[in-house]
Amino acid sequence: MDASVLAERAPTSRKSRSIKGSAETLLLIAPYLIALLVAGALPAIYALIQSFTSPTTGGFAGFSNYLTVISNFRFFASFGDVGLLLLVWLPMMVIGVVGLSLLVDASRGKFGKLMLFVYYIPGALAGMTNFMLWLLILDPSVSPIKFFWQATGQSSIDSILASPMHVIWVLAAMLFYQGSGSWLLIVYGGLNSIPDEVIEAARIDGCSEWQLAWRIKLPMIAPWIGYLILMNFAYGFQIFLEPQVLATAAQGILSPQWSPNQLSYTYAYEVGNTGAAAAISVILLIITLALGVLIVTKTGLLERS
Amino acid sequence: MESTVGPSRQVTLASTPETRRAKPITGGTMFRVGVMILFGLMFLYPIVALLLAPTRSESSMMHGGLAVGSWANVVYAWKQIMGFDSGMFLTWLKNTVVMVVGGAILAILLSIPTGYAMARLRFVGRNWLIFVTLLLMVMPNTVLTIPLFLEVSTVHLLNSFWPVIVIYGFYPFGVYLSFIHFKTALPMELIEAGRMDGLSELGIFFRIAVPLARQAVALVGFFGFVAGWTNFFLPYVLLPQTQTSPLAVGLLQMISSSQLVNPEEGLNVQLYMPELALAAVITMLPVMVIFIAAQRYLQRGAIMGAVKG
Repeated sequence: MDASVLAERAPTSRKSRSIKGSAETLLLIAPYLIALLVAGALPAIYALIQSFTSPTTGGFAGFSNYLTVISNFRFFASFGDVGLLLLVWLPMMVIGVVGLSLLVDASRGKFGKLMLFVYYIPGALAGMTNFMLWLLILDPSVSPIKFFWQATGQSSIDSILASPMHVIWVLAAMLFYQGSGSWLLIVYGGLNSIPDEVIEAARIDGCSEWQLAWRIKLPMIAPWIGYLILMNFAYGFQIFLEPQVLATAAQGILSPQWSPNQLSYTYAYEVGNTGAAAAISVILLIITLALGVLIVTKTGLLERS
Repeated sequence: MESTVGPSRQVTLASTPETRRAKPITGGTMFRVGVMILFGLMFLYPIVALLLAPTRSESSMMHGGLAVGSWANVVYAWKQIMGFDSGMFLTWLKNTVVMVVGGAILAILLSIPTGYAMARLRFVGRNWLIFVTLLLMVMPNTVLTIPLFLEVSTVHLLNSFWPVIVIYGFYPFGVYLSFIHFKTALPMELIEAGRMDGLSELGIFFRIAVPLARQAVALVGFFGFVAGWTNFFLPYVLLPQTQTSPLAVGLLQMISSSQLVNPEEGLNVQLYMPELALAAVITMLPVMVIFIAAQRYLQRGAIMGAVKG
């Protein structure tokens, strides 16, 4: 990579010009750099410092905040809950999104375009509106799928969410409903970028539509699928809104510290233990940074830039 | 949707797109079209139910399913929403517009020059800046919310719009969009020509790049607006006061104080499913409009490799 970067640096004309030019360049990027500092770097550094600061004395606390957090009974439990959610939701996303985009791709013409649009619509629901929609679905007395709740013997949202596994399914459904549309466009875009000659050649060789999808298209969109998995993994274990508001709607059923982010929020807001809140944030930040570096370097995002 | 009409309906629907091309309808085609329509119905059914809910009365809702009610019910529901906390809904709407539009404008102002510099100028640390921007772009913004809360509360700026506007304005995805735009739509020759004519670097930016940046401005504005409008966690922690909340946070407050969740609380208005659904639909309208209008752009943006989950 270094070689290509060096090669890219075209020899600039005159020296004086380049010095003046770099001052002007700085002027162009300075506002963004300031925002990057204030809204990106500073909070992260501040959280790191806070995580090693005693919230009571303000002195250096060593790893005691981290110990407080890790010994909280919800710490590993919240990671476990979110892990289970990812285990259910990610396959749902991969199979659902890839499956539907392959079906759309196989349907050339107006029908395919129309269905793509239909699948895309739920993505327009903002977080809280999507939650409201699910509140409607999950209330057996007014639900549009009332027949289903009656058949399964559910009488209230509390009874539906009483089983922890049901919570997982409900959250996975909520995330899939809102997230699949945009990702469908991404994966479909990937399918569209497969050269027509490749598809034609496979057809001439006697490939059926099934074989075409399985043997040609799927391997060629593997990078997009990898991107889908990593991005949604990073997003999913940060989940806050859905379990937080679900806990509000079904009071006393869901732990208010269901996800790690909610645990951090509880420390910051309700307990007022900034050191512990910062410690969880740092742990989440490290995991997310690692995932981010993986996404940027391994999915070809950097090369394409 | 009874099982007796199901199969026959499916066959007629399945045959329409294919007969035009006069291809034989194979079992595979029927299966494909059937699955696609089934999923289409599953995707649409809940959203139609949500959109119809405000037109129905509470007693009609008790029947479940779908039904079209009356406009009078929508008006009634709207009056209940307006009666909640003496019209707080409008304050939330105003707060949302101020914060989100402010954030989107700031995002444009930061993204356009930075994206241009990254795409067309050579400077020390350029590759580093691109890497950091990409990294921040793929990281979910929730990861910095609590650290931002710690920072903002330390400087005593909770319940102020300014930190929220600055944070919304700091939009790495917007920088990336602008970067890609200038890389693909602004030929290096134009810039060289500007240099030949003796324009300064800033002159080139303002006279050549900015007039060609219309599409990038629209994209950054669209996406920045949607990102801000749909954000919940950040305003939830930075703006804890009811008067400073945006719609998304206010909606949660309506839900938790409604008779639906809190039957005992003596609320002065009737907040049941139709009212809450109307509030939710109004909350999402701007995003819905942008989402559908910008589908084409989203697709492009998505292919370029950047849409958050």
